[in-house]
Amino acid sequence: MSVSQIADFSHGTSKTFVFQNEGHTLGNALKGIISSYPNVQFCGYTVPHPAENQMHLRIQMFKGQAIDALKKGLADLIQVCDITLDKFDEAVVSFNTADK
Amino acid sequence: METVNDEKPRVILTEHKVVENFPQGPTVYDDHFDAKYFKKKLQIVVIRRNNTDMEFDLIGIQHFLANTFRRLMLSEVPTMAIDKVHVLNNTSIIQDEVLAHRLGLIPLKADPRLFQSVADVNEAPTEKNTLEFELKVKCSHNREISKKESSRAEDIYKNSNVYSKQIKWVPIGSQRSRFNESDVGPIHQDILIAKMRPGHELDLKLFATKSNGKDHAKFSPVATAFYRLLPDIKIVKPVEGEAAFRLQKCFSQGVISVRKENDRQYAVVNESHARYDTGCRNVFRYDDLKDSVVMSKIQDHFIFTIESVGALPPDAIFREALSVLKAKCSALLTELNV
Amino acid sequence: MDTLNQELFGEPCTYKQPVKEIEEKWKLVPAFLKIKGLVKQHIDSFNYFINVDIKKIVEANNYVTCDADPLFYIKYTNVYVGSPDVDEGFNISKLTTPHECRLRDMTYSAPITVDIEYSRGTQKVAKTGLLIGRMPIMLKSSNCVLSNKSEFELAKMHECPLDPGGYFVVKGQEKVILIQEQLSKNRMLVEEGKWGAQCQVASSTHDRKSPTIVFVKGNKYFLGHNMFTDPIPVSIIFKAMDFLSDLEICEVIGIPDIHQLTPTLEECHKLQIYTQEAAWNYLGTKMVAKRYVTSASSVRTPADDARDALATTILAHVPVEEYNFKSKAVYLGLMIKRVIQAQSDKQFLDDRDYYGNKRMELAGSLISLMFEDVFKRFNFDLKSIADKTIPKIRASQFDVIKYMRSELITSCLVFAISTGNWTIKRFKMERLGVTQVVSRLSYKAALGMMTRVNSQFESTRKVSGPRSLQPSQWGMLCPSDTPEGESCGLVKNLALMTHITTDINEYPIKRLVKNAGLQDISIVASKAIHSPAAYIVFLNGNILGVTTNYQNMISIFRLMRREGQISSYASIYVNFLHKCIYISSDGGRLCRPYIIVQKGQPLLNQSHMTELEKGIRSFADFLHDGECDNSLLIFEYKDTPLSYRIIEPSYVEKVLVSTNEQDTTLIKILLRQTRRPEVGDKFSSRHGQKGVVGLIVEQKDMPFNEDGICPNIVMNPHGYPSRMTVGKLLELLSGKAGTLEGKFHYGTAFGGSKVEDVGEELAKHGYSYQGKDVFYSGITGEPLEAYIYSGPVYYQKLKHMVQDKIHARARGPRAVLTRQPTEGRSRDGGLRFGEMERDCLIGYAASMMLVERLMVSSDQCDVDVCNKCGRLGYCGWCNSCKSSGQVSSIVMPYACKLLLTELQAMNISPRLTLSHYCQ
Repeated sequence: MSVSQIADFSHGTSKTFVFQNEGHTLGNALKGIISSYPNVQFCGYTVPHPAENQMHLRIQMFKGQAIDALKKGLADLIQVCDITLDKFDEAVVSFNTADK
Repeated sequence: METVNDEKPRVILTEHKVVENFPQGPTVYDDHFDAKYFKKKLQIVVIRRNNTDMEFDLIGIQHFLANTFRRLMLSEVPTMAIDKVHVLNNTSIIQDEVLAHRLGLIPLKADPRLFQSVADVNEAPTEKNTLEFELKVKCSHNREISKKESSRAEDIYKNSNVYSKQIKWVPIGSQRSRFNESDVGPIHQDILIAKMRPGHELDLKLFATKSNGKDHAKFSPVATAFYRLLPDIKIVKPVEGEAAFRLQKCFSQGVISVRKENDRQYAVVNESHARYDTGCRNVFRYDDLKDSVVMSKIQDHFIFTIESVGALPPDAIFREALSVLKAKCSALLTELNV
Repeated sequence: MDTLNQELFGEPCTYKQPVKEIEEKWKLVPAFLKIKGLVKQHIDSFNYFINVDIKKIVEANNYVTCDADPLFYIKYTNVYVGSPDVDEGFNISKLTTPHECRLRDMTYSAPITVDIEYSRGTQKVAKTGLLIGRMPIMLKSSNCVLSNKSEFELAKMHECPLDPGGYFVVKGQEKVILIQEQLSKNRMLVEEGKWGAQCQVASSTHDRKSPTIVFVKGNKYFLGHNMFTDPIPVSIIFKAMDFLSDLEICEVIGIPDIHQLTPTLEECHKLQIYTQEAAWNYLGTKMVAKRYVTSASSVRTPADDARDALATTILAHVPVEEYNFKSKAVYLGLMIKRVIQAQSDKQFLDDRDYYGNKRMELAGSLISLMFEDVFKRFNFDLKSIADKTIPKIRASQFDVIKYMRSELITSCLVFAISTGNWTIKRFKMERLGVTQVVSRLSYKAALGMMTRVNSQFESTRKVSGPRSLQPSQWGMLCPSDTPEGESCGLVKNLALMTHITTDINEYPIKRLVKNAGLQDISIVASKAIHSPAAYIVFLNGNILGVTTNYQNMISIFRLMRREGQISSYASIYVNFLHKCIYISSDGGRLCRPYIIVQKGQPLLNQSHMTELEKGIRSFADFLHDGECDNSLLIFEYKDTPLSYRIIEPSYVEKVLVSTNEQDTTLIKILLRQTRRPEVGDKFSSRHGQKGVVGLIVEQKDMPFNEDGICPNIVMNPHGYPSRMTVGKLLELLSGKAGTLEGKFHYGTAFGGSKVEDVGEELAKHGYSYQGKDVFYSGITGEPLEAYIYSGPVYYQKLKHMVQDKIHARARGPRAVLTRQPTEGRSRDGGLRFGEMERDCLIGYAASMMLVERLMVSSDQCDVDVCNKCGRLGYCGWCNSCKSSGQVSSIVMPYACKLLLTELQAMNISPRLTLSHYCQ
């Protein structure tokens, strides 16, 4: 399993997610996006030890479930990829035409 | 404390440290993340592009996203490289493991998108996940030349230097029909692999597989991929006369131009060339000039440079990085939704 | 005085004139090294031994006779050392190379052959080419296969052309005989003794060595020697040497105030010794009894013994012919004079650590001592065999040759070199650690071993005198090259231009000095010796005579030496305090080349230097033409020198199957490991900034600069403030500029490229003039707040790698005797919880923790102790009380039980009184 959760008594409003085989690459991006959401009280990530290939992401909400924030964050990240890809293709095309 | 009152988010390069500037209006860093807003704000401009290098600007994006793209390009976009070497005979001075290490670092011309990663290390190589090569070189005396003509090793011996062009492709199965000889093999023909003397022999079988930079740096598709923030120079106090020329020397060529107007020579920032400033802050050497200029960097304008090793063109590498990220997030989402 | 000063120092008015600086004077050093080399001392010394000394030794001991048969004799006519070879069996020997000996664990040695003439029955037989032993050969010496070979030929013999040589290959190991430093023999040393000032002479000749002391006790002067049971008042010695009247004695001692001698002279009268015979008798009674009684001793009286002792053993280096003690008496008088002078004026005390008083013993002299000893033993063996076999009735004639076993000499030399134990019974010498295995960690390590000088002091003594830096070391021993730790200051290294002298023939020097105004000691009167204008002339510790015009003698001597008439290694030096001229020609002195100065200007000038650079002149030419001079230290005594004129899996790489000298099969396997740098490996820059890798980080996590370059090594900046390694900062800056410009810079704080210029170059290429760049974090992507000082620095991987050190033990083997965990990683040992760690636990008052560490985890054992008698029992039974009713079992460390048992074994009965824990 690539992502699991650490048990917690907050009924889902605060959660630490453990990602296997992930590091700062995904963690920093997710943290940046999720911490800007209005309902998120706290979002942070850490790589507990450089020798272990794990990433812990903690989300604490004012309202709502932490897992929802995570899902939204991942979905937003997918959208970022798509948008960037489109804009990049446009830019390459316009560069090629300008070149000619 | 220098500040620039302007809507762009920036950091200011003071003499001893980089200071965050507090802008007047909202920037991309302030609001909560919204895909539509992101789409509106994002701009990409390609500055330079050829088969191996590319420079483009990503404007209106946050640092954590730009950095993620950079990291993905370095370590998660896969390529093919020689990973296993079967040494049938090696009587040269170079040790087996050193030779294998060198062969692994040779960049290969093979589109990694056409191959699969090796699932199980122990099973036999298949045509879908492995490229096989052969290196068979024997060094001998060059009988045609006499000792008096030359004493260079390249002349008196045959095959004293082993180059990457001597690596021959051995097609497996249907690879023969799918690929041309020119599609596979080392990108550069003149990489020196080993040196030998008469009597030495190399007989190696090389197996190239697909992996990414996290596994070993030889699998990274980029020589390097990096970015820098757009520099912004503002002259806050007029600089005239001889000092203007000195100010010009403190920055890269073309960043500052000296305009002549009514017998007065004063310095002015050349907006189109400001991006070429290297951030060297040499203006702080001169006491009289250091208060006249404020140097800063725009925090949401990233000038990306991608230098490809040659297996994939640089824009393909960027696209691949994005698709790797998309695949990662999708996989995690499906896992969470289950 | 004035003319000498003028000659040496020039006119005082010229002092203010600047001496023209000779540019690039340092180029003399590589020129010197080209002709002399660093290993020359060892090779020259060994060559001298092989070519000259061995012949002298054999000649000195060339006649062997036998007690049983007066007609029997052996005479050695000649001795040769051949070329190194190896015995292949069946009496075939082939030439060998040192590398073959290294691989096959053999000794690189050459046969020692003699030509002898001996009597066999009634015939005289002469035989040549007889093998008496094998001599280990020093590499690159005159007999070695490698000497004077070109690079190509050396490579063919599998020998590196850069290898310095100068060591031996013994049983496959490369052993070097280190240069041994010791106090020079036959010199007077005045120092503070137990009772006051004393003057000590360690006399040494070929036959015997013994120290003689003259000291003052109370107000009397005594002579001490191991031949005598008590110290003898000096007046008695003088009487024994035929100086009967008190006046003579006072004259020969020659001090102005003779009242100081009065108590000593009175001793004579107290003991009623007025004649020479009486003195001898007295001395005879004071002699130490000889341990063995030979047939000859019954004929001799104690007085005879005393007379012989006085003639030969006491002050042995002063020659006495036909019992004429004059020179010895003068010498003794001088010793007493020095003691008296030292009593009043501390200036007269000698410095033991002054390098003029030290001699270096090299391989050649040490091996010659060993060889002489073993050769004498060889002859003694032959003699005793002859003694035993000749009287017996035999079928054939007695042929000595059959009894010459070469193993004695061979094994003795090989044993001495391989173990480093130099044991010579005759001189009661027992020196350990004379040889060491050549360190092959790097080229410099091997080269450095050749220049190493070992001091005679043991490292346990904490005396600081021999360890401190001596001003007299200048130019001859390196002031900074010494190890840290227990042998600091005791192990030294030769400087680059040092030369160690070899023995020179004394005769030409004696002749020259006699013609230069010397009055021979045997002729001159005692009063004249001690007159204020007279200077006593010493040659190698022996008084030659007296001269009144010392300047003349010195200048003639120097002139002759610079002309080449006498050896350039003879040295002459005036000591104004002692009013003596010391001439030395013995071996083992340190010396270095000087630039000759005349009238305040050096004879070497700039044109000579340019000629040197162009190759027209070589260093030897300088010596020839008289611009440079090789001579001994000519420093002011004790002051600063005045002279102005240096787990992992391994690959098998090679396999060797062979036999060694004893014909046993030998298999050697060469293994290699390729080691990647990992966490724990030690690295260092060139500025003493050593450290261990803490973390290895991927390229994407590393910070990157505006060019996309990320660092290979990130160093902790805390290493700078206390260490102040400015050189490293300069190396970085100038290296960066040099890379951009394509040229070399000197990144040193001691001259070299200026920081302003280097900064200018950096600015020219668009980098910050300070060397600091903007870096972006690899993890977050933002620019770092501080500017990072980055650039190229040369780093070296050191040999302390974690793979060789990592060690863990939970439980493991124990030592047999103490039942405690073993020591050392190779024996899977535990780490010692030492005394200092014990003190820390005491500081915490953690008593139970102490018990756990020192007993429970180490050597805890259960011991039965009898309550009644307190002795140890076993299995619940007390053997002394013969009952099991009173035996308790207690827990104690096994080492404690071992102590009790050992005491019991020594017949001491340790008894333990037991009481309950909670009472």
